[in-house]
Amino acid sequence: MNNSVPVLRIRNLKKTYMQGRIPVHALDGVSFDVNKGELLSIVGPSGSGKSTLLSLIGLLDRPTEGSVFIDNVEITKAKESEAPRIRREKIGFVFQHFNLLSTLTAMENVDIAMRFNGTKKNRRKERAFQLLTMVGLGDRVKHKPSELSGGQQQRVAIARALANEPAILLADEPTGAVDTKTRDVIVELLKGLSEKGQTIIVVTHDMAVAEQTDRIITMRDGMIAGDSGNDMR
Amino acid sequence: MFDLIIRSMTQRKMRTTLTIFGIALGIFAVVVMGGMSEHMTLTVDKSLKLLANNIQVEPDGTFGGIGTLDESKIRQVKRVPGVKDAFGVLVTALDPEGGGGGFGGGDMVFGVLPEKQMKDAKLTSGRYLIPGDGYKVVVGSSIARKFNLKVGDELEMKSKRLQRSSSITHTRNVTVVGILEYTGSMFDSAVQIPLDRAQDFYKMENTVSFIYAEPASGTDASDLAKRIDLNVEKVKSKSPEQLRKEIEGQLVIFGLITISAAVLAAIIGGLSVMNTMLMSVSERTKEFGLLKALGAERKTILVMTMGEAAIMGVIGGISGIGIGAIFTHFLNKSFEAQGSALFAITPRLIVIGLLFATILGIVCGTYPAYRATKLSPMEALRYE
Repeated sequence: MNNSVPVLRIRNLKKTYMQGRIPVHALDGVSFDVNKGELLSIVGPSGSGKSTLLSLIGLLDRPTEGSVFIDNVEITKAKESEAPRIRREKIGFVFQHFNLLSTLTAMENVDIAMRFNGTKKNRRKERAFQLLTMVGLGDRVKHKPSELSGGQQQRVAIARALANEPAILLADEPTGAVDTKTRDVIVELLKGLSEKGQTIIVVTHDMAVAEQTDRIITMRDGMIAGDSGNDMR
Repeated sequence: MFDLIIRSMTQRKMRTTLTIFGIALGIFAVVVMGGMSEHMTLTVDKSLKLLANNIQVEPDGTFGGIGTLDESKIRQVKRVPGVKDAFGVLVTALDPEGGGGGFGGGDMVFGVLPEKQMKDAKLTSGRYLIPGDGYKVVVGSSIARKFNLKVGDELEMKSKRLQRSSSITHTRNVTVVGILEYTGSMFDSAVQIPLDRAQDFYKMENTVSFIYAEPASGTDASDLAKRIDLNVEKVKSKSPEQLRKEIEGQLVIFGLITISAAVLAAIIGGLSVMNTMLMSVSERTKEFGLLKALGAERKTILVMTMGEAAIMGVIGGISGIGIGAIFTHFLNKSFEAQGSALFAITPRLIVIGLLFATILGIVCGTYPAYRATKLSPMEALRYE
């Protein structure tokens, strides 16, 4: 599936937190590329810097040093006022606990992501329905999160993340809160999306998930300890 | 965006209702207190209008109350250049034991010259006083309602005279010959009787309370008032303008007291909005973090939170005004049965109430909204 166009380039990324007076290097010089349509998993023990890496790629946080390029644009140089637009247009987030808005229906939860983009109402409705159908929830569009199972909620979250056709889908432990059967459904869904050309980065603890992805990056102490992509190359 | 705001409000029905109730209560206080103040202002306004362009001459040194002038002063006033005519009026309280009199309220007796009656106030029945009338009276609408009077009925007048350490109360029945329509002025609570009979009954021969001087055409009322003071000893003259300023000055204090009490109540309502919004923001930390992660601008989150506070303010304002209007309406009805209304809900008051509620909502929503926009999406998403 790799057609060798890097969508994401990460160069010497560092993030240092101050814990009291002691600096903690959550990320310590991470560099790698991700090609278009790649399904990449990042694994590693707790505190290895996986989630920090994800939040820097997603522009939820700023690095201490280094750069992140998405579609050849250095997003780490973007002004704070430009961050929302970049998040909307380039990134789709999927979270461990789904993070759906409990007052909104499945349809509205997908719709809301497109609102901030200024997409017209008719177009939003059409696209939300299309995405929910794609994730297999075409008959659940009017249901609220409380009326959906964990797996269904996560599928709504994936539909929402795809709403603005992002360059990269970032999934933080997407199967962390569901049973193994549901996990397989979600992994299949992500694989299917990747085959259609969607670039996906999954952070996971679960090796059963990681093993089904194209490439595995293993993190340890804020650094890359292994990259199956490099091994193959 | 509006639908999201409404959803957030309806999701927390109890809290939203209580907050709106808090604002409504504050605005209710503003409307009721303000309505009282507005009613007084209107009464003064209309009373002064009925006095037309006449200059009020009163004894020098009386402050606020009603003094006495010798009738000889009327002739002196008449001789002042620029005075077309002058006449005296004797003002006393209808019920000397009940207090009252003056512009503030209470039922009054005006001893007037029949030919100088204020005919701007129309009659609903009967006739005005005519020269030669004996113990005949024309009564205001509030008096007529209070004592249930029709033309031809008798009304009891009381006078109280101090004699050494005791006082003697005299009473006398007078015949109602005319009833005035509602004017919204002090004449509604006034009984008009020929001046000579009033002086006789109250044993105040050759005495009047005020002298009214009509300026000749082309004469400036303020200038004439000064001229009267210079030419006639021991009197103080006030042009309608001065009279208005003086009364308004007294009303300002009353207005300040009532309004500040009301504003205090409304601010407490505002604080409840702030409290609710702060709670709502901290409860929705994760939601705001998510919206930011989805690409919501700070502006969007600001509009969502401030919009919610503003809407609660508007709804609270409308309810407060509504409840206030209904409350004062019924209170007025019951007071009217006793003679006079107490509240006036003017358009100005409604606009002020609504504006105040909205601004209160927005101002008290600003800080919580600012807090919401400052949330880092990272921190917010980790928040449990």
